[in-house]
Amino acid sequence: MTAQFLDVITTAAILFAVSAGLLIIFGVMKIINFAHGGFLTIGGYSALLVTTLGLNPWWSIPFALVIGFFCGMIVERLVMRPLYSRPLDAILATWGLGIIIGQLITLVFGREVQFVKSPISGAVNFLGASYSHYRLLLVIASIALALALAAVLNGTRLGLQTRAVIMNENLARGLGINSGLVRFITFSLGAALASLAGALITPLTSVDPNLGVPWLVSAFMLVLVSGMSLASLAVACLVLGGAQVLVSSYGNPVLGGLTIVVLAALILRLRPQGFARD
Amino acid sequence: MNAIKLGHLVALFRTLCATALFCATGVHAADVIKIGIPVGLSGANSVVAPSVVQSAELAVEEINAKGGILGKKVLLEVADDGSGAAGAQKAFDSLLFQKKVDVLITMETSAARNAGLPIVTRAKKPFIYTSFYEGRSCNKYLYVNAWVPDQQVAPVVDYFMKTYKSKTYFLIGSDYAYGRGMLGFTRKYAESKGGKILGEEYLPMDGADWTPIISKLKAANPDAVITSTAGGAPNVTLTKQLRAAGIKIPYGNLAVDEGTAKSMGADANGIYISGSYLTNIDTPANKTFMAAMQKKFGANLKTPNDLSVPQYEGVYAYKAAVEKAGSTGTDAVIKALAEVAVDGPRGKIQMNKQRHAPLTIYLGQVQADGNVKLLETFKDVDPGEQCPNLK
Amino acid sequence: MRPHSDGRWVLICVAAALLLIAIGPYLLSDFLVNNLIRGFLYAAVALTVDILWGYTGILTFGQSAFFGIGAYAAGLIFTHMGFSPSHAALALGAGLGVAVLVAMLVGWLSFYHGASPLYASVVSLALPIVVSQILYSGGAFTGSSSGLSGFESFDVSLQAWFWIAGLFLVAVTAGAWMFVRSDAGRVLVAIRENEARCEYLGINVSRIKILLLVVCAVIAAIAGYAFACVQMVVAPEYTGFVFGTELVIWVALGGRGTLIGPVIGTLLIDTSTAYLSGNLPYIWKLVIGLAFVLVIVALPRGIAPLVTAIIRRDKAGKTESGQTATLQAAIAEPLAGLASAGSSAIAIEQVRKNFGSLQVLEGIDFKARHGELLSLVGPNGAGKTTLMRCIGDGGERSGGKILINDHDIARRPPHECVAFGVGRKFQNANTFDALSVAESLRIARTRLEKPSLWSRAATLDLPEGVLKIMRATGLDQQVGVEVRHLSHGQKQALELAMVLALEPSVVLLDEPTAGLTKSERTLIGQILVELTSKDRLCILLVEHDLDFVREISSRVIVLHQGKIVLDGTVADVVESELVRTIYSGDGAHT
Repeated sequence: MTAQFLDVITTAAILFAVSAGLLIIFGVMKIINFAHGGFLTIGGYSALLVTTLGLNPWWSIPFALVIGFFCGMIVERLVMRPLYSRPLDAILATWGLGIIIGQLITLVFGREVQFVKSPISGAVNFLGASYSHYRLLLVIASIALALALAAVLNGTRLGLQTRAVIMNENLARGLGINSGLVRFITFSLGAALASLAGALITPLTSVDPNLGVPWLVSAFMLVLVSGMSLASLAVACLVLGGAQVLVSSYGNPVLGGLTIVVLAALILRLRPQGFARD
Repeated sequence: MNAIKLGHLVALFRTLCATALFCATGVHAADVIKIGIPVGLSGANSVVAPSVVQSAELAVEEINAKGGILGKKVLLEVADDGSGAAGAQKAFDSLLFQKKVDVLITMETSAARNAGLPIVTRAKKPFIYTSFYEGRSCNKYLYVNAWVPDQQVAPVVDYFMKTYKSKTYFLIGSDYAYGRGMLGFTRKYAESKGGKILGEEYLPMDGADWTPIISKLKAANPDAVITSTAGGAPNVTLTKQLRAAGIKIPYGNLAVDEGTAKSMGADANGIYISGSYLTNIDTPANKTFMAAMQKKFGANLKTPNDLSVPQYEGVYAYKAAVEKAGSTGTDAVIKALAEVAVDGPRGKIQMNKQRHAPLTIYLGQVQADGNVKLLETFKDVDPGEQCPNLK
Repeated sequence: MRPHSDGRWVLICVAAALLLIAIGPYLLSDFLVNNLIRGFLYAAVALTVDILWGYTGILTFGQSAFFGIGAYAAGLIFTHMGFSPSHAALALGAGLGVAVLVAMLVGWLSFYHGASPLYASVVSLALPIVVSQILYSGGAFTGSSSGLSGFESFDVSLQAWFWIAGLFLVAVTAGAWMFVRSDAGRVLVAIRENEARCEYLGINVSRIKILLLVVCAVIAAIAGYAFACVQMVVAPEYTGFVFGTELVIWVALGGRGTLIGPVIGTLLIDTSTAYLSGNLPYIWKLVIGLAFVLVIVALPRGIAPLVTAIIRRDKAGKTESGQTATLQAAIAEPLAGLASAGSSAIAIEQVRKNFGSLQVLEGIDFKARHGELLSLVGPNGAGKTTLMRCIGDGGERSGGKILINDHDIARRPPHECVAFGVGRKFQNANTFDALSVAESLRIARTRLEKPSLWSRAATLDLPEGVLKIMRATGLDQQVGVEVRHLSHGQKQALELAMVLALEPSVVLLDEPTAGLTKSERTLIGQILVELTSKDRLCILLVEHDLDFVREISSRVIVLHQGKIVLDGTVADVVESELVRTIYSGDGAHT
């Protein structure tokens, strides 16, 4: 039972970390960033760079954030800006971008599976069960991430402006908020968060050009059911991630892999606002 | 608007005619023998593909240096199959109908092989498949010189039963034909030897989180675990997560090769692997082969492995068959392929068991330094019933 | 422009394409023949993507799933039951049946009133993932990752398959071309351009989208079935989302919404991939990715229209205008197709509406009869537009009851409210930019006259009131002009005309004359008065121009802070001290 409980919590934490960047972009721009998988991959390779340079594995966190932010800035300027008024085209452009990122990474780093040093490894005894140390650490990392994001959104001027844009962009612009700048920063931040998530999950996985793909659709679904709020994203991760773990444990993992997608689609059909309050 | 649409069609037609002319230049020259290699230069197999091409290049160079086959020079034609069905159809079409190769010798994913087989049937050319696979792929034109589950699984299970007295097993795999084929056979084999399977679990091929399965494994508390995942990422993630979860029971990995094991570092330590080729097989043939590869490719050498060495031997098998048949005529070569034996790095191999070959299987264990220690050798393991309906 | 010449051109194009296909196998190498067979079938699927996305605005990554369903129906049945003509028919039937069921399920999930297009896209992405996962876990039955191979199939030469696949592609292309240019096809464009407007014109958009998806699924499944028969192999790859997105890429590069562009795009890219990808696998994919992003950002309509534009340069000045039609008066059949007039036109009982904790409407209670021109006035934020919205869409209000012509609208979506007799004009001109004036009006008539699936009617029947409005604003001289070229005032008038073309018995007008000249406004006012007095319509009008209100209203309701503060004649309002206070307090409007 303990193991299952821990599985649910840690799975939800990983899902939260992986989806947070997507949610931020979705909230402000009302578009799904299909290049999200590409940014996750960039994060994985940032961590790989840290390992190659022989630095302490903890360095991969700032590294991934900076590289992700930088890539996000370039992409926003070159690709996203002309597409603000064409949300479906924005989806396609980000999809194409995902292809480009994947191919560039393949050309530079090769297609083979590579390895990143993990800051901590092995299992620890926790609540009477031996459990993966790193997964437990990820729970703390996700909570820290959520708190930091909440602090930025609620405690800073930029956060306030961002929330204004999320609620009503036209009104916000009328009040003198530079919504273009908010979008620029949001997109870069979303990319940075995706990249961070990529770096965070590498110790659990390998680094390869398709690193981001398995997480992509689940992240899309979680964000769609969460609407625009971090709190409902956390709830969605717990509920749907929990369902995935339970289906995998008591049913089979293949069905488990489809749980989030199918449940989320049904939830949205029956309750279009999903886990958001209204 | 409409006139332009017609214009489009005309333009398309011109392009097509131009390409048709371009194709026609690939004429079939009677004084060379062309070997086609459709292989995954991109996609999942792209990691191993270069080593496969290298060993084929060495074989062809050696053969041409000694006067070719029946006095004809041998030429390689490589095409990317994208590691999948759609790419394979293009690659097979291109090689068989455009480049007009005489034979296909290659390792591919099962999906790619299956997609190519109808095209081979249409083109009526021999096809030597050099990749281990889930077994029971049968076609009039197909020969296989690599292992099938019946050959690879037994050594691991036997060793666990003998050395660790393992009675209960837990099986984990990727949800695809090879994963299911291997573990399905493992279950049958272990049960026939009195073992008990406590669980058989699969994750989708691109799945990255094995947690629920590992929790099940822990709850079942088996004596040993045997895994058969897709190569590359899934194999690595599973191994890492097993280690992170503190699993210390004997661990047989049916999908890891020497190179991957080496790069995995400490996580791979202690894993049991089995296959028909290890770089440190102590035979003169293997030493000569390794030296020749080293000499030809130097710093660019991709470590030879259980997929590239059968490729090397496949080329020699074809040479022997053509020489025995006295021509490249398909029917004669097909008949001869079962009758000739090749003495290569993996030993003496003849594809005389229902289009498959009895093979010597090596059981090894990955050491802390990443090298594989040879534990046991199983001589001429039979492939079992593979294609009883083919003569 | 002219239906007859269109028909002729279709015939010429089809004949030319058929000729090329007939001689193709004799001119082309075996290699190209094989590649083109696949290309033809892929192109047929790409066409369905173009119809869904390019024409109707439904971005789908899921057509590969239907292709795969058709293919697997053949693969599974031929593998497990053997091949025979009756099994072939069974497989085709099974494939199409499953494709239809899945399309209906996906349609139900994706398309409902208020569904976001983003959600539909993500569902379309999830579909192939789910389907291929099912195939993977099917073990030996589905062949899992290896797919199924080595089954028998029709004993037909590749040359004949080239003809069959080519014929299929030509048939689908020609059919699609007729369809998208027909009156029914214009409805798709209208949905893409402005879905809300379509719903308020009584068109059941969700149903049309689901039907369209089903038809497209059937075409994709037939292509998949043929693919399995000719290639004698099926693999999960063909059902997967990578193939699904490739289709979108081909369509985007070829030119969405052009039909011929996606076909040529598919054939060229697929064929050149066969040549180029072997030499530079990664670079080739990178090039495709870059081209794709570039096209989406800079050339959203793809490369085909660009080519067309270059070819057409020498014919400059002959730019094609939108579709036109001869207007004529409809035979007077008041309320034909709509609900008959009830005892009261609108009955509103205790309606309230809140956004979260904010109360926008509270205890609204009134009735309106046929023949009344009832104006809603009140300062900004009084809830006028919100009230209009609640009458036009049963899902909008938070509480209370609304009857239209004695029918309770309950929680019905807008197109069902239209069936009770409501027509609604939005606050800002809400039209179809890419359609001509005539096409827009025909869309408005969709409910009353079922549009043809393959042709365009030469005449357009419109009620007398609509014709008057068009004459008053000069629209009758511009029936062939695309709406995007109209002035703001003309767009307003057009929308009003579209609403009246519905032949409603209750009309909701939200600032119908904003942007019109004084004289046009007077004319429109007269027409509205005539519609109420002569045709017994009930018109509910929101206007800021109080002079206009005074001139034409038979009754006025004043809203303030979500409540009715006065309900009386024009004279009552003019004399009301209360109204004056409200307006002076909130800033007067002229």
